[in-house]
Amino acid sequence: MEKYFNAKYIWESFPLLIPYIKVTFLVAGLSVLFGTLLGFILAAMKLGNSKIAQIIANGYTTALRCTPSIVLLFLVYYGIPKIAENFGVNLSDIDKIIFIVITFSLQFAAAMSEVIRSAYQSIDRGQFEAAVSVGLSNAQAYRRIIFPQAFVVALPNFGNSLLELIKEGSLAYTIGLIDVMGKASLIIDGRFNAHALETYLALSIIYWVISIAIEQLFLKLEKVFSKGKQVINPT
Amino acid sequence: MSDGLNYSFLVKTFFTALSGVPTALMITIVALFIALPLGFMLALTRINRIPVLHRFAQVYVSFVRGTPVIVQIFIIYSSVPLVLTSFFKKFHIETNVYDINPIWYAFIVFSLNTTAILIEVFRSAISTVSKGQLEAAYSVGLTNVQAFRRIIIPQTLVVALPNICTATVNLIKATSLGYAMSLQEITLRAKVAANVGYNYVEAYIDIFLVYLILCSLVEYLFKIYEKRLRKYKAANA
Amino acid sequence: MLEIKNIHKSFGKNEILKGVDLRIDKGDVVVILGPSGSGKTTLLRCINFLEKADQGHAIFGAADVNLKTASKKQIHDIRQKVAFVFQNYNLFNNKTALENVTEGLIIGRRVPKAEAIEIGKKALDKVGLSEKYHSYPIELSGGQQQRVGIARAVALNPDIILFDEPTSALDPELVGEVLTVMKNIAKEGTTMLVVTHEMSFAKDVANRVVFMDGGVIVEEGSPKEIFTNPKEERTQQFLRRVLPEDYIFYI
Repeated sequence: MEKYFNAKYIWESFPLLIPYIKVTFLVAGLSVLFGTLLGFILAAMKLGNSKIAQIIANGYTTALRCTPSIVLLFLVYYGIPKIAENFGVNLSDIDKIIFIVITFSLQFAAAMSEVIRSAYQSIDRGQFEAAVSVGLSNAQAYRRIIFPQAFVVALPNFGNSLLELIKEGSLAYTIGLIDVMGKASLIIDGRFNAHALETYLALSIIYWVISIAIEQLFLKLEKVFSKGKQVINPT
Repeated sequence: MSDGLNYSFLVKTFFTALSGVPTALMITIVALFIALPLGFMLALTRINRIPVLHRFAQVYVSFVRGTPVIVQIFIIYSSVPLVLTSFFKKFHIETNVYDINPIWYAFIVFSLNTTAILIEVFRSAISTVSKGQLEAAYSVGLTNVQAFRRIIIPQTLVVALPNICTATVNLIKATSLGYAMSLQEITLRAKVAANVGYNYVEAYIDIFLVYLILCSLVEYLFKIYEKRLRKYKAANA
Repeated sequence: MLEIKNIHKSFGKNEILKGVDLRIDKGDVVVILGPSGSGKTTLLRCINFLEKADQGHAIFGAADVNLKTASKKQIHDIRQKVAFVFQNYNLFNNKTALENVTEGLIIGRRVPKAEAIEIGKKALDKVGLSEKYHSYPIELSGGQQQRVGIARAVALNPDIILFDEPTSALDPELVGEVLTVMKNIAKEGTTMLVVTHEMSFAKDVANRVVFMDGGVIVEEGSPKEIFTNPKEERTQQFLRRVLPEDYIFYI
């Protein structure tokens, strides 16, 4: 079968794919929400005094950072129902998006715990000491002095992790999620793999534009929030 | 009906999964072999703003870092055979494109991908090495090549090492996507074995364990290497 | 006004403070001298609980506080009365100079915002930084940052201000401006406890000098007594090392 490349299919793919971007964002958004919450808890465990908590949190982070996304996805997708089976709970009716959000939340939490931990530790102890010396309580010192500064340090890393999340999220199509990647897959299957390249190119452009937009957004955010800090400018 | 885990399958599949490790490692090593020098040189073009090349590198990095690896794999996997087919036709080469071992496509994709990642890693690492180092090297009579090999690169390496380690671990994880090219690596091997008896959970546990061991090993090795390189730096770490 | 009794503090196996007693009266400007490692900074940090002493009492006016077992409320109360100026300034990086000075007033002491701003501006004027109300620490020189640090302490109207080597982190040409500010504050009658290597300050402004070495107070007295008539051998050795060679003292 003579395969030939026809650029027209690239343009045709865009209107077909773009409506599904919101699914991609929905999954990413939920994962960020839950992942950040869990990430805070893990970071607190790492920074706290309990050795056991530290070991658990560090072990979790290592385990998740060494696991490829599709492996994690399948572990969650097949594993959780199986565990539930042992307790007599039937999970086969649950929408697969739940499993997807669980997977990427777990993954994002591991990354977030490191981002939060290192941002917190980068703030000089003297800031805290000065704050309590002028009469702030511990809580006030954290809230008004430490957190705002740590937030700025964390921002670029948060942006990177967010980008990674969106890219890794593309793998959700393997268990049938119809986000922008899933739709591309459907289109290609529908055409019996003809002109797959053109569709993938369109898909890659969509992702590219999204990532540039997020990058620019975070650069702007960094500028807005770092009034009191010197921003190192890479060429 | 609760089943519990099929333990004999668990053990057997572990070794099946393990058999995919050499493939994963080979891809990783080839990719690093190409990407390390290429990434370093392109990083230099970015820093020295060499015309044309530095813009090309910028766009290239932006694209690779802005798109999912799986999409890159699909693009290469659907485009290269097309190009090769017409290439073979033109030069009357007899080889059937579809007989080419998918591992060659894997080499291409992962080399391209890792190069882009490393360009960024080296860009920030090189900028931490002060300019005075190069000037001092010239002033004692070292050639460009010598200056880089003996002074700049060692210092860049120490700074870049943790990020190179992360990139390597990510590379190993990314090989799991080789299934899209029917590549017989860790994940695919174990999955195929699982399809027989629907023992998916056991298979994925094994896959998970193999990656965990592999990645921990890699991180450990990098740590040792970093310690050796750090000897010259003041007790800062 | 403030009496410290029998402070002990160890870090791991190192005993840094080996039983220090100190008494400070209102209006005193006390300078603590001594070699590095003598425990001067640790003493200061124990007084406002940046370090927790292993043993000892602090008597503030009527209140007698056990330094080891002090409650959160007691610590909080003491910090209302004791202000601290850090060697590395420790200005809040994410706040302007004025905000740095008013932070403790508004949040720590619940002073109404308008009033706090008035007090803050006056304090900044006092240290010569009227032009810099809205500058961020990153925009200020070291000397200016330290002056903001002093204004921050002064604005709290504390009973006593602790200075931990306030000029040690400054370039030499910036030291003078900070010392001048400190002299002015002392002239106004502020009670100050200063750890410093600046002998000129000790000689000209202090009314008491304390020499510490090896975790204990070796000798104390008026500047004249310590500088011209040091009684202890260790004091003499220290002074010989740090004072210009032509300085003669009598035994």
